[in-house]
Amino acid sequence: MEDTQRISYTEKEKNEVFTNEFLPLIHSMYNFGYRLTLDRDDAKDLVQDTYMKAYRFIESFQTGTNAKAWLFRILKNSFINDYRKKSKEPSKVDYQEVETYYNSEDVDRQITPDLRVESLKDMMGDEISNALNSLEVDFRTVIILCDLEGFKYEEMAKILDIPIGTVRSRLHRARQLLKEKLSVYAKQMGYNN
Amino acid sequence: MSQQVNPFIQADGTKPSCMQMLQIILDEQASADQKEYFKFHMAKCLPCFKSYNIDATIKELLKSKCCAGEAPHDLIEVIKQKINQQLSL
Repeated sequence: MEDTQRISYTEKEKNEVFTNEFLPLIHSMYNFGYRLTLDRDDAKDLVQDTYMKAYRFIESFQTGTNAKAWLFRILKNSFINDYRKKSKEPSKVDYQEVETYYNSEDVDRQITPDLRVESLKDMMGDEISNALNSLEVDFRTVIILCDLEGFKYEEMAKILDIPIGTVRSRLHRARQLLKEKLSVYAKQMGYNN
Repeated sequence: MSQQVNPFIQADGTKPSCMQMLQIILDEQASADQKEYFKFHMAKCLPCFKSYNIDATIKELLKSKCCAGEAPHDLIEVIKQKINQQLSL
């Protein structure tokens, strides 16, 4: 827990914070867990574990601050520390290269995949979900936080423990990769883009 | 329309590119002034208009298709039980 300021809650206050501020976020938390693990049972375990930790460390949560960002950060850390270790390690080297590339000044010269709105509107099945799930987890995460959950740069930076500039570049790259995937699906559907 | 001051210009005078403006809009970090400016900008910049429409459509698709639905109905109960177990130890 990054927050050093601890608050003394009575048992009653603790339960109130937990019930009124944390539990109503269960659906967003479950979706985040599912999008990270891509498995419903694992998502359930991850969310359970996150709430247990949230209860244990509730004194480092200040009422009136952003409960959702606080919980998402715990879930993300639990995923990295407990779950990701069990699964295959991410390809850090490739990833770093991608980030360095973006941070160079060539950014405006990247080629945007040629997609059309009509082809996207025809994607009524699992294409978008599959495309999102196929992204490397760090790219997937920023899309979830920004596009599905509406977090701001500053909140994402705190949740992910990365600078705001990295949030921005990662989001940009994630959007590009998503478009590349969708462009492949569009071709398979017969659109010549 | 009268020539507006570009609200995307940073404090040090740097003028962002089209792509940078588009990203601020897509990432939903834009102020009301920036949104308004970009709307007028798109009307005369075809590449921005096209990119924005594609990216905005993808965002809509993500929102409508990428929610896993509700958490399992027993999840809250399981969490409460586990906490009570821990408290009674």
